[in-house]
Amino acid sequence: MADDSESLQTKARAISGGSLGEAELQAAPGVAWPAKVARSEAPLVQGLRRLRRSTTALVGAAIVVVLIVVAIFADALAPRSPIASDQTHTFERPSWDYPLGTDQLGRDMLSRVIHGSRISLVVGVSSVLLALFVGVPFGMIAGYYGGRVDTVIMRAMDLILAFPIFLLAILLMVIFAPTAGLIGAIKVTGAIAIVRIPIYARLVRGSVLSIKEKEYIEACRALGVRDPWILLRHILPNCWAPIIVTTTLGIATSIIVEATLSFLGLGTQPPTPSWGWDLKANVSFIQANAWLSMFPGLAIFVTVLGFNLFGDGLRDALDPRLK
Amino acid sequence: MRTYILRRLLQIVPTILMITFVVFVMMRSVPGDPVVALLGDAYTEEDAVKVRAEYGLNKPIVVQYAIWLGKLVQGDWGASILSGRPVLQDVLVRLPVTLELIVLSMGVALAIAIPAAIIGALRQNTWADYTATTVAMVGVSIPEFFIGVLLLLVFSIGLGGLLPSSGWVYLPGTCPSMVCGVSLWGNMQHVLMPAIALGVGRAAILTRLLRASMLEVIRTEYVTTARAKGLSERPVVFKHALKNALIPTVTVMGLQVGFLIGAAIVVETLFAMPGLGTFGIDAIIARDYQQVQGFALITAFAFVVINLLVDLTYTFLDPRIRYS
Repeated sequence: MADDSESLQTKARAISGGSLGEAELQAAPGVAWPAKVARSEAPLVQGLRRLRRSTTALVGAAIVVVLIVVAIFADALAPRSPIASDQTHTFERPSWDYPLGTDQLGRDMLSRVIHGSRISLVVGVSSVLLALFVGVPFGMIAGYYGGRVDTVIMRAMDLILAFPIFLLAILLMVIFAPTAGLIGAIKVTGAIAIVRIPIYARLVRGSVLSIKEKEYIEACRALGVRDPWILLRHILPNCWAPIIVTTTLGIATSIIVEATLSFLGLGTQPPTPSWGWDLKANVSFIQANAWLSMFPGLAIFVTVLGFNLFGDGLRDALDPRLK
Repeated sequence: MRTYILRRLLQIVPTILMITFVVFVMMRSVPGDPVVALLGDAYTEEDAVKVRAEYGLNKPIVVQYAIWLGKLVQGDWGASILSGRPVLQDVLVRLPVTLELIVLSMGVALAIAIPAAIIGALRQNTWADYTATTVAMVGVSIPEFFIGVLLLLVFSIGLGGLLPSSGWVYLPGTCPSMVCGVSLWGNMQHVLMPAIALGVGRAAILTRLLRASMLEVIRTEYVTTARAKGLSERPVVFKHALKNALIPTVTVMGLQVGFLIGAAIVVETLFAMPGLGTFGIDAIIARDYQQVQGFALITAFAFVVINLLVDLTYTFLDPRIRYS
């Protein structure tokens, strides 16, 4: 137990950084000012501790982990090829041989749903990460330097935000020209990432505006620490909590946008299995074969629910004021 | 107040110019052009050059935009390159369909969200609250088109065609031609499922937000005072708490309407509705430049006007907010 708290304290101090007293604290952990050290535990660490107690977050995390495993081992888990058609077994009802039935080309729905997880997860996660890697630096620069740089960056972000999200994503996909396979997935990722960049830029800019006025940042400047170092080492670590929450919930939104683009025929193109596309393709047969649209739809729902539950739990844990 | 509205109306202009210009440039950077589609497969480059010159497509993009803008100021939205129909006419025919869909879906959202949020907040941590928050979480996680498919399964297929799965019947007085179906009852039957499909997700978001702000408001001193002076629970909840809790909700509602304009594309596609959404997506895919511009213009206009209305609603909800 003691070891645990000691390692947490050390971690916390590494993040808070900046003051000269810190060096002394590290030299004598838990001895010099034990009470103060216990309270100085980083908010992120406190949050993660709270997260472990949240049932909904754990359920969400479990769903996400299962999905990741399914996506990674799709080849081994899928009973058949997701793209091989079999004209002798079209529109099979769910049975022991075909647990989720087959579509109009005789393709096994279970295998398609399993493989479809790849596109959803890969596009969902990578588009949000791409938006994060572009949006966060923009937001930091805008917030830290202010003035004209801020105005230029934020007006550009406002322009993107002025579009309804689906409209912009659709326009971008028409420009990128949707294709199948990895390239197709990269195009969808790019389109969704562009739409999401301003969300990070705004979020981070807001945090930076308040953090840069703090005394420890002033101290850094007085000590002659260079701006990039201040931004990366002293400001960024204090913005992590909202960034993490936005990212988790953002993955859920991105998965919905990807499915919607596929549903409109502007996502990854066939034969690459995609839940949105499968749902759309099978809506035409809904009258006689209702299950065909149900399974891809349910897959989207469960995936989004998993990320939403986890993200919600994270938000409650990292920002208890919002609970 | 009047000067404030006037100033805000003036600010709308640059935003709309910016959006329409960006769309203008984006559409012209799309591979392929409408002239090829217009002339069909058996066209010669000579014909294409001639037609491009006819539509002014050979001029620099900025010049083309200036021409479009110049005509727009005179009330001319241009004509579709592919069908030749005036864009404004098409937009006006389709606008009421989408407007009705969005207004009703927002109505569905509020009809679910307000009672659910009040029950959730007043009975925090009871089964009623847990039910409301769980249902809201489920609602947030289902894409609109999947709710639409589920509704189709239940009401169009399961219950023996209780509600029509596609098409449209116009409200009396909105029929654009001589040949369309007009009936209030028929219209309601057609709009119900799309409105629910679009509204449920918004209801979920609004429930979560309104519940949180209700929880905050009912703990304030003025609510305690209202109760202490002997007011019954109803005016305390509706007049004192709900009105104040609605302020952040109205902001989000404004944003949600912006989202609905985009999401309408999906729902209209699923239910084959002749609205602006299907007009927009068809125009974008066919690269019909003039139609896309018309769609972008009306969308941008709706978006900024709604934001203005949201700001003006604040003064009603909180008279302390006064714009000058």
